[in-house]
Amino acid sequence: MAIRELKVCLLGDTGVGKSSIVCRFVQDHFDHNISPTIGASFLTKTVPSGNELHKFLIWDTAGQERFHSLAPMYYRGSAAAVIVYDITKLDSFQTLKRWVKELKEHGPEDIVVAIAGNKNDLGDIREVPMKEAKEFAESIAAIFIETSARNAVNVEELFQKISKQIPPLENHEDEISESFKLSRQPAVSTRRCC
Amino acid sequence: MASSSPPGNPPSGLTDRSGSFFKLIDTFASEIGELKREMVQTPLTFDKEPMDLQGLEAEVCGVYLQSPSCAGLGGERDSGYDSLRRRMSVLERLTQTHPVWLLLAVSEEEATRILLTQPPGVFLVRKSAALQRKILSVRLKEDQSGTPISHLPVRESQYTFSLEESGISFADLFRLVAFYCISRDVLPFTLKLPEAIASAKTQKELEEAAQLGAGFWDSALCSQRRTFPRACRPLSRTLSPQRSNRNREGEESGAHCDSAPPTLRSCASPPSFRLERRHSSGPLCFVTPLFLQTHRRPLRCEDDPPTHAVRSDEDLENEGKSLKLSSSPGIEQHADKVKLNSKSRTPPPRPPPPRSMPRRRPAPPPPGPPAATTRPKSMPVAVTVSPRQQPTSTKRQAPARPSMGGKQGSPSKTASPPILVPSNPPPPRPKKPDLESHRCHIALDDETIAKALSRAKLPPCQPTATDALLEGNAGSPSTPKERGRQRLSDMSMSTSSSDSLEYSHSPGFSLGLAPSPSRHLNHQNTVEDSSDDDDDVDEDDEDYGVSLETDLEMRHRPSFKARRRRVGVSLGGGPFILPRALKGRFRKVSGMLSSLMTPERRAVKRIAEMSRDKSSYFGSLVQDYISFVQENRGCHTSGTDFLQTLRQFMTQMKAYLRQSSELDPPLESLIPEDQIDQVLEKAMHKCVLKPLKSVIEVALHDFQVKSGALQQLKENLALAKAKRPQELGVDGAVPPDPLAIEKIRHKFLNMRKMYSPEKKVSLVLRVCKLIYTIMQDNSGRMYGADDFLPMLTYVVAQCDMPQLDTEIQYMMELLDPSLLQGEGGYYLTSAYGAMALIKNFQEEQAARVLSSEARNTLHQWHRRRTTPRSAPTVDDFQNYLRVALQEVDTGCTAKTLMVQPYTTTEEVCSLCAYKFKIPDPDAYALFLVIEGTRQQLAPDTHPQRIKAELHGRPCAHTFHFVYRRIPNLNLFIPAIMDNGNCIQVE
Repeated sequence: MAIRELKVCLLGDTGVGKSSIVCRFVQDHFDHNISPTIGASFLTKTVPSGNELHKFLIWDTAGQERFHSLAPMYYRGSAAAVIVYDITKLDSFQTLKRWVKELKEHGPEDIVVAIAGNKNDLGDIREVPMKEAKEFAESIAAIFIETSARNAVNVEELFQKISKQIPPLENHEDEISESFKLSRQPAVSTRRCC
Repeated sequence: MASSSPPGNPPSGLTDRSGSFFKLIDTFASEIGELKREMVQTPLTFDKEPMDLQGLEAEVCGVYLQSPSCAGLGGERDSGYDSLRRRMSVLERLTQTHPVWLLLAVSEEEATRILLTQPPGVFLVRKSAALQRKILSVRLKEDQSGTPISHLPVRESQYTFSLEESGISFADLFRLVAFYCISRDVLPFTLKLPEAIASAKTQKELEEAAQLGAGFWDSALCSQRRTFPRACRPLSRTLSPQRSNRNREGEESGAHCDSAPPTLRSCASPPSFRLERRHSSGPLCFVTPLFLQTHRRPLRCEDDPPTHAVRSDEDLENEGKSLKLSSSPGIEQHADKVKLNSKSRTPPPRPPPPRSMPRRRPAPPPPGPPAATTRPKSMPVAVTVSPRQQPTSTKRQAPARPSMGGKQGSPSKTASPPILVPSNPPPPRPKKPDLESHRCHIALDDETIAKALSRAKLPPCQPTATDALLEGNAGSPSTPKERGRQRLSDMSMSTSSSDSLEYSHSPGFSLGLAPSPSRHLNHQNTVEDSSDDDDDVDEDDEDYGVSLETDLEMRHRPSFKARRRRVGVSLGGGPFILPRALKGRFRKVSGMLSSLMTPERRAVKRIAEMSRDKSSYFGSLVQDYISFVQENRGCHTSGTDFLQTLRQFMTQMKAYLRQSSELDPPLESLIPEDQIDQVLEKAMHKCVLKPLKSVIEVALHDFQVKSGALQQLKENLALAKAKRPQELGVDGAVPPDPLAIEKIRHKFLNMRKMYSPEKKVSLVLRVCKLIYTIMQDNSGRMYGADDFLPMLTYVVAQCDMPQLDTEIQYMMELLDPSLLQGEGGYYLTSAYGAMALIKNFQEEQAARVLSSEARNTLHQWHRRRTTPRSAPTVDDFQNYLRVALQEVDTGCTAKTLMVQPYTTTEEVCSLCAYKFKIPDPDAYALFLVIEGTRQQLAPDTHPQRIKAELHGRPCAHTFHFVYRRIPNLNLFIPAIMDNGNCIQVE
């Protein structure tokens, strides 16, 4: 199976649990064969998807306002963006909306956007109604899911959903036929003309 | 697997190997140990029991394609050098004649056409465009399964080539084919070289065949030979991986080889022809023709001159084998029993990389019996255990592979015709020789070399000291014999640990840092380390005398440093002077290292050599560009602009190398497809960035000064440095103390010394890792970017290194784009971000946002660097023109030529005549072929302008420049060739 590397960036306010979600995702079923990354800001995980393997290269971003301006460097070239908010903090949902806007304006055109309402285990102090978030997500055709990194709820599912939305690679037969056939000539050619 | 380490391996050596990395090394070492045991069947000392060795000796004989004519004529057999010369190895024949059988462009139909007229077993290798894989096409026997031709896909893993259905892997395509010429494994029968090649007696004959290229198959040479089938032994092609066979063989021919000393024979030592049927269906074992390379009879020089006819024949074969299987092309090599101790070198074999291997080991073991599956697939490793004199080979430049190998630069060439230990050995045989026996062999080897080389200064006993040192306070009073066993593990230990420990100058952190983090970057590290080795070798290569020692010291300094740190107690920390004995030991170690040189390294080396050779087209391009940059660096508007042109040049050159035919044999036959880009990238760093490093540094600095950016940076850096961690956004995590900052500074300073962007990035990763380690402070908490980025900003500010800015710029612009998405790219981006925040610190303090200007820069950078790479082909570039040579009989051949916009057609024609080696250029002209129509270009037109115009047209037609015979000369051109169609035919 072909391994396809997919850059995924994580956006969201500081403290909403961006890295917790990813750590949970990566560390459950931890595969010892894969060389670990040096830290939790950049993590990778490979999951099967259809007849491909998707290797997620997960780029975490710093959520503080002062680092906001660096975000384009992180989300450029991403196949998907996971925007995380904290269901117990309305502010974080507002920030999320700003991220969505920014991605629409400056992000990659075909980026898959996933909205994750984290801390779903703290339902009793919820500030963001699920319905509102879900409707917002639908309005922008984004994936929506509520997760709990602490209890490992829906983390796996979040990435499965992303995997499904990644368009399969176009057949690379096309590339081949496009290339100038002569370029396939082997090096032996020099010897032919004596 | 460490548990499987043989009893002789002292446990004490393992005590401090905490990381899994070391476990892997142990594994490696223990595997080698097992192999050694398995391979050595000879008991104890050879002088006591010489008979057992004879078998081994005799095995070496089989790999020769004996000239059939001489097979029946005993009288010719011992006719001295002449008959030796004739006995070129299969591998050598294959390597020399690859233009004949390595026809990557040939279609399945064409392959079928060619092979149908050939006898069963004849083959060629092509590349399937649909599968994007290489295919081994073999002529079958008429009665087999209906299809006359079998097409077997070649599997290319990270380091190896193998047939789809087989578990046996090879370092390159030549070795794969050579193996199947000798042993059938998954094939119905062994491959067969075309008669003309198999029976060629001289290099010249091979060259003649090679010159014909694909035309060989239709040539008189091919068909003429076919009409004289040599019934006796067209190929003596048995290479038995199986011990039992070899034993038998040994018994049979043992009587002839009395004086053969014991050696560690490779398991692949070929018994002769008659065994082939037996082993071919045997269990899989990991055999590579690597093993065929380097068997030498250690005491060759002391042998009595052969008197018995048969015996001498075998002797010759033995010699020839060690020479020729190493695919060395030199004819002169056989000359030399006489020049025993001159500068004979043995080709180090070329197995996959040991250092990166443990980390990059592919998870799935090859299918096969347990023996194979327990070992990593990426280990068709042959390890040079011990040097031995090889009297017959002299002046060989390209040991393992004639054109790619170039200067291997192994000091061991002088001293060590290596014994090979396959790391992926055949299944264990019932007869297991005890460890003692092969320890003896090693000791013997030492002695032999010492004698043969007249290097009395390296008596075999001295290495003891080395071992003791290397073992550190391992505390095991090892007897000399045990040491034979230990040495291997030491070697792999010290080698492997070097790149992980080399940069971590603080013992406190070294362990944590030992395994480098990213796969990509690991690879880069490893290879660059190696390439630095190469450099030493490059310089010292030609001189096999005194410089050896220096060379070795240089090569092993890092590993030694690492070692010393670990064994500090025993060394006492005083100034360490490498004793002579130790050098001797290191020479061996280094022999091993060089024998472990990867195909990648060889390829990089080869390309680097070519880049310095102005007589090659590639070399002239690179050298011209380098001098251009040196003289004209002022013509750029900014550092970024400057770096971009460098990057662009490297990308173009990579594209050129991929398409050009200058690399011979083609890169594709040596490096698995998915590795080629990395190899080329590495080569570009070496060819371009290395010589230009200081120029680039100065230029970047000048731009920085001129634009005032440096001043601004310094001011802001001073401001930022005064801030506490909390003021930079650090919240909760432990910041590094001044001591740690100093360490980080040190790493950054080291980073400045490197030219490879990959290697620089790997140091960035080390720094980041260190920061993480400090942040976590044993809490086990995982810190994400919310915590890490502020901390990184704080660290960068504390380091107070304005030069870091240009370093980051250098990496950002020059790093291979394919690495930008990975871990290296992530942390490089973070470092860039941290630096950007610091650069704009004042503004940020004022407005709390980055200036719009800085933001735009980031946007631009990312747009530029991450837009989908529509891999440009080299002929898209302005100064290149791709021209096809269309020949009546051989079809099309294309070359990319350097053609300036104002170069006239006439000039292009003469360039073509030169490049295509056209004997009668007046009969040729340049044609423009558009959509099937062909038009001869007038001598005073400008092909580049025509190309530009065609590119500029709204509806793009495909067009080609074709250099071909002018049809209406009194030459007959078949009509079918006249319409330009054949260009489209692959």
